[in-house]
Amino acid sequence: MRFRPLMVGRLLLGLALAAAVAPGLACGPGPARVTKAEQVFRFRLREDPPTLDPALSTDNLSGAVLNNLFRGLVEIDPGTLLVRPAVAASWTISPDRLTYSFRLRDGVTFHNGRPVGARDVEYSFMRTLRKETNAPWRWALDPIVGARDFTEGRSATIEGLKVMDDRTVVLRLKKPFAPFLGLLSLLPASIVPREVYEDPSKAYLRAPMGCGPFRLARWEQSNFIELLAFDGYYGGRPALDRVVARIIENRASATQEYRAGGLDSLDEVPPPDDKALQEELGSQILYYPYLATGYIGFNLALPPFKGNVKLRQAFNYAVDKKYLWEVLIPGYLPAHGIIPPGLPGYDPNLPGYPCDPARAKQLLAEAGYPEGRGLPPIALWVNTSEDNRRVAEAIQADLKNIGAPISIKEVDWSAYLKAVEGTPEAPGQAQMFRFGWFLDYPDTDAILRPLLHSSNFGPAGNHIRYRNPRVDDLLDRALSLTDEAQRAGLYRQAERVAVMEDAVWIFLNYYQSSTLFKPYVKGVVPTPLGEFRIPLERLRIEKSPS
Amino acid sequence: MASYVLRRLLGLAPVLLAAATLVWALLFLLPGDPARLIAGGQGVDSEVIDSIRAEWGLDAPAPIQYLRYLGKLLRGDLGVSYIQRRPVTAIIRDCFPATFILAVAAMLIAAGGGLVLGALAAAHHGRLLDHLVLILALLGTSTPVFWLGLMLMLLFASRLAWLPVLGYGMDGAIVPFLGIRLPEWDHLVLPAVTLSLVSLGAIARLTRTSLIETGSAEYLRTAAAKGASALRIFVYHALKNALLPVVTFVGLDFAALLGGAVATEYVFAWPGLGKTIVRAIALKDLPVVEGCVLFLTVVFVLVNLAVDLAYLYLDPRIHYGRAAA
Repeated sequence: MRFRPLMVGRLLLGLALAAAVAPGLACGPGPARVTKAEQVFRFRLREDPPTLDPALSTDNLSGAVLNNLFRGLVEIDPGTLLVRPAVAASWTISPDRLTYSFRLRDGVTFHNGRPVGARDVEYSFMRTLRKETNAPWRWALDPIVGARDFTEGRSATIEGLKVMDDRTVVLRLKKPFAPFLGLLSLLPASIVPREVYEDPSKAYLRAPMGCGPFRLARWEQSNFIELLAFDGYYGGRPALDRVVARIIENRASATQEYRAGGLDSLDEVPPPDDKALQEELGSQILYYPYLATGYIGFNLALPPFKGNVKLRQAFNYAVDKKYLWEVLIPGYLPAHGIIPPGLPGYDPNLPGYPCDPARAKQLLAEAGYPEGRGLPPIALWVNTSEDNRRVAEAIQADLKNIGAPISIKEVDWSAYLKAVEGTPEAPGQAQMFRFGWFLDYPDTDAILRPLLHSSNFGPAGNHIRYRNPRVDDLLDRALSLTDEAQRAGLYRQAERVAVMEDAVWIFLNYYQSSTLFKPYVKGVVPTPLGEFRIPLERLRIEKSPS
Repeated sequence: MASYVLRRLLGLAPVLLAAATLVWALLFLLPGDPARLIAGGQGVDSEVIDSIRAEWGLDAPAPIQYLRYLGKLLRGDLGVSYIQRRPVTAIIRDCFPATFILAVAAMLIAAGGGLVLGALAAAHHGRLLDHLVLILALLGTSTPVFWLGLMLMLLFASRLAWLPVLGYGMDGAIVPFLGIRLPEWDHLVLPAVTLSLVSLGAIARLTRTSLIETGSAEYLRTAAAKGASALRIFVYHALKNALLPVVTFVGLDFAALLGGAVATEYVFAWPGLGKTIVRAIALKDLPVVEGCVLFLTVVFVLVNLAVDLAYLYLDPRIHYGRAAA
């Protein structure tokens, strides 16, 4: 008798195929159900938001979801960046600019249907300020009188927060602080319902509840977050019925999903060298300014940059920014200063330092290093990334061109931060470093103060240890003004000193957002706040009937 | 046999202790401050960071932190994620089913396909089909999963549009009592096939070699002489004996798939355990890394035990228990 495994092989093949298909047979009703009339918007998140608690949120992934679920007393208009009413219908500011009186809007309800009242504002602010909450951005409410005493447990109430009646809240500040209204638009100042957020089991971490235009329906870890339109939203029910944030880490996979129609927008655009994809999707890319500035910081506490403005200016003139952002890594705008476009105070007429190697060489000589002679070893620190390396190498080549050789030191993020930040008392060891500053809130003070004010040495932002009493004074004066045009003027002056007189950085780039949107997505408001702050309540889907 | 199983389970304790200590020590030595990580991005008060450090016990000396960690483990408490701020057990409960389902589907394809191809190759030993199978097996084993996944995605999802590009789906059925949502079946196909191909190649080669060796065994000739049919000889005599090394491989490989499906999960945005661990490592979310590694250690040991027990059925000469002790 002959052994005939071929026949048995066929049998096994059948079994294997059946086995392969079997797991699916038990599963659900098939592809996602999208009825024709349903308005669904699907966007991609790189990963799960670290938190959906507005008091704990500091990052844009959390913000991408939370800004649709929550509202505070006021909000920032995403287009103009001006403060506008939200839960508060109106407010008045006392002549001494210390007392803010908010009148709440009628008819605002939480997602559970309960009306929002002045006591909810009080509770929400107390929750954020409470020490146990550990809200990373509780400083947003610190300008209120007694906030610090409440946090430290020295007082059971916040002295400067008074509930006058069910619709009126009064806040009193320690000193005039112009950006205060903007701070009230931040997520830690969101209004939350006490009955949900006092839950000891902290169920609200997975089921957040606010009074925003959407409510959370489902959050499946690493898979998706589903939001549904909130019928009771005070601003009117959104046109979208459903929003799905899909968690897709891999950029290439996400691009394929966008092409296949599984996503309606994508926060990463095809790389410029991918001609085929650029041709296919290029017309769907939306570019718009983003509130962030990139730079090479000079450590002003260490030689050779300490006290040598000509050397810093020479380095500025040496770098070809047009090449960096038009050829090497397209997508950013060459910077001529600090304040990015879109922010009050942005100065389109600031000369900055256009690429001029001859002038750079001359300044290098005037700085005491003719043709680079006598220049000590200089290292440019970057944290490990492909883009950082390419930028650093291009700058290295530009500086070599004027006779100023530098080395590149590429280290991981935590080692980098240690070398760059230093402490309030002592400088970090990095002489030069690449950094980007992304504004926490849309106010010019939020970039100039942390980076340039002498009270912010160390991790607070002034890593370069810049100290100029004129700049400090201009920034302090601007804080006490309420006239936006006057404030912008002072910021413009401060920037001009830091850029043209002191050349505190190599001014590299203004960031831009670039987002893919399908042509049928209408109502997109590009905002300098970033792609995740495009207001979803204004979107609608207009697909032609097929 | 019961005492054997008990002994093996007791043997798990030192393995777990060693794994827990190693993982804890390695992660502790990593640079970076967990308190700063818990606090979030830039612009955080140092007071808040100090307060977080105290709240999470990160201000204690290393030996104390280690002992606290072990103490919690003894109580079955894997800790709370720094980032998600919820119990690690809940995180594992959420993401392990997706990995398990993917690994089972991949292993079914790999075992089924590997056995068939191995049997075909053995039957045509030295001929064209045999060589073809060997080449295919070699390709399957040596192709990087990341690349293969993307290629399959491009072909079957983007170009032919037969299958979804990625994801787990949103509308799969919910398993009663467990509350686990199953993937939509069409979403499962591409990741399962991608994940299976490495194992499939190895199983095919193992089956082939094993069958060729047993094919010449005298007991098969005896069975044939006694009048057994070819099918019976293949299934009950040849395959059963040839399966021993294959089962060993499948067992070990299945355990490896549970922890090593990272690349597949990454490419297909599959909400599984591998991706969770890698992300936790990147974010230095120590409790999640430690909890997941310990969980996988337990799974690995249990799968190995199951493989050893499977030998009892496959080879009557094997006994566990007093005689073997």
